[in-house]
Amino acid sequence: MNIETLKQKLDAEKYVYDDTLLTVLSVALQLGRPLLVEGAAGVGKTEIAKVMAAALDRDLVRLQCYEGLDESKALYEWNYQKQLLSIQVNMGTTDSDTLTKSLFGNEYLLERPLLQSIRSEKPVVLLIDEIDKADEEFEAFLLELLSEMQVTIPEVGTIKAKSVPFVVLTSNRARPLSEALRRRCAYLHIDYPDMDKELQILRKKLPHVDDRLCAQVALAVQKLRSAEAILKKPSIAETLDWAAALDALGIRELTPDALRQTAGFVLKNNEDIAIAGEAVQCDHDHCHCGGHCHD
Amino acid sequence: MTDPAVYSEKLSAFSRMLRLEGLNVSPKETMDACQILAVLGFEDKSLVKTALRTIYAKSKEEQILFDQVFDGFFLSEEAMRAQAKEAAHKDAQVAQARQEAMENVQLREFTPEQLETYATMPEEAREKLRQFLEKYKDSSQRSPELYANFIHSVFAKALLEQQIQMEEAGSGGMAKDPELGLMYRDISQFKDTDIPKAITIIQSISRQINGELSAKRNKGAHSGKLDFRRTIRKGLETGGSLYRLSYKRKRNRRKHLVVLCDVSGSMIQFSEFALRFIQLLNQASESSRVFLFSETVFEADAFNLQNMDLFRNYVKDCGVYGKGTDLGSALEHLCSAKPAILNPSTTLLILSDTKTIDQDRATLALLQAKQLAGRILWLNPLPESHWHHIRSVQTFSSVCSMVSCSTLHSLADACRKLTL
Repeated sequence: MNIETLKQKLDAEKYVYDDTLLTVLSVALQLGRPLLVEGAAGVGKTEIAKVMAAALDRDLVRLQCYEGLDESKALYEWNYQKQLLSIQVNMGTTDSDTLTKSLFGNEYLLERPLLQSIRSEKPVVLLIDEIDKADEEFEAFLLELLSEMQVTIPEVGTIKAKSVPFVVLTSNRARPLSEALRRRCAYLHIDYPDMDKELQILRKKLPHVDDRLCAQVALAVQKLRSAEAILKKPSIAETLDWAAALDALGIRELTPDALRQTAGFVLKNNEDIAIAGEAVQCDHDHCHCGGHCHD
Repeated sequence: MTDPAVYSEKLSAFSRMLRLEGLNVSPKETMDACQILAVLGFEDKSLVKTALRTIYAKSKEEQILFDQVFDGFFLSEEAMRAQAKEAAHKDAQVAQARQEAMENVQLREFTPEQLETYATMPEEAREKLRQFLEKYKDSSQRSPELYANFIHSVFAKALLEQQIQMEEAGSGGMAKDPELGLMYRDISQFKDTDIPKAITIIQSISRQINGELSAKRNKGAHSGKLDFRRTIRKGLETGGSLYRLSYKRKRNRRKHLVVLCDVSGSMIQFSEFALRFIQLLNQASESSRVFLFSETVFEADAFNLQNMDLFRNYVKDCGVYGKGTDLGSALEHLCSAKPAILNPSTTLLILSDTKTIDQDRATLALLQAKQLAGRILWLNPLPESHWHHIRSVQTFSSVCSMVSCSTLHSLADACRKLTL
């Protein structure tokens, strides 16, 4: 898919992107390479996979990583209960080889997200979310899938992908990923959006919200993110929630009172909420904006 | 679509350049790059740069190195012409300066190497040197040896300046990225404007270190003892056969950390950063106690170390700020305290530049602390290259392990060692 086509598809999804993101997505698609996206929490890494699924008209298969994730949760598992039942039913069968063989057929195989994504007839978007939370062993286990688009199940053999999924891996850099995994992926690093991009996102996602309020929210969020004392920086989703909440309450101006009432939508711990007022104060002594102008 | 082979020669050379800069580039990546260039063409340079960066660079740090190599390798025609013109102009200047040096009576006594250095010096420095020679024309005959030494030192200084300029040009890529620039800069050289950025970096690195340590702890975590309850419960899923065995988890015994932190005038900036780092490392220790010292020692309240301003005010209010350093008395206090502060499960972490009064007493106290504590680790903000000039560093480093951490990068490495 060339850049122009991808651009049109992303525009149709009302997704806000820059030239770098567009080029990176296009390159990863053309080469059929997995895309590794790194960045702080809440910058929109997972959203890339969701938007790509919608833009390419594919199903999204998601694998959420966590400590202790293993192949039985990620790739496949045998349906033990069904196998045991089958053994009980066929107790009298004399041909034990056939019985054993039949126990490891498709009928007893429980597909988990990775297997599901490569056995799908129609190509899908596979999101391997927060890969840094998984153990190093799991990372090594993924290498075969990412480079060869195949997996090996000891009882069945090697299963090659019927259709090549577009793989998106995300990481918050909670721990460094192995060199082997990185080498198999195209790489993208994203930061929090700047004021203009955040405003564009607000306008596209919440077209009914007053433009002046959007600008005030975007500016306030930028200030909250740059304040050292704020422990948990607001994500893009929280910015959208905040603007929507203000709009739902009929608030048209982000005054200190409005901030106090709705801070829980953008800040998620008590210490941050307590200092939010100071953090978003503007430096304009002359403009009598009450600390909340958006110039 | 162009044939990918068209670009293969140029991209192979580019891949070699990237490898020389330390990037791990495999032939597969070069092939991918050829394939993508065949589609994109070479008209839009910024598009090509982004596309190749996606293929070749696999981390934020590698992206910066990639940009540097790309900008140097794929020069535009205009940039190439400008560079060639600049090089020709520079050569002409050097040739002229060389000619001038040959013709100048005073410069004729220079050795060929000195003449070459003179020719490459900036005009300002050459003018200064000529004025100097003119001024001390007579004294050169009175004491030629002293005069020659002085000339030698002038040239040595010029060469050193040139070397520093070249090193700075080499680290230009790091300076482009403020985050990486701060990671490798001496902490004592941080300006006030750098501090918020540095704190954000510390938060992100400590989160990463916590993640690494947590992953290490969980790796091979079982103790080898069978967990009967879990095994039987799991067995119920498979009709009572003990298909999967569960093992008891190994108990993680984290260390007790005692931090002895020098807050004398020269150390306060480093101490603030180091303490902040250690406080954020919740994976490094089970519990920690922090003692601040200069001439006297007192235990710090963990709450007052959370924020830079609180920390500074706290240290000033306690009356220890800006005083001299007496490490000996601080260590004696730790060793003699009742109930005991140091015991075999304790790691004593000393943050100090080793400058202290009564060094012999401090050495004895350090030896005593070594017997009481399980382990002592010294974080020294002085760069390791300076260590062999300083007697106190040599003495203390022979007693306990000392790690240089003059930059945030080395401080992060030192903190990783805390759990070893």
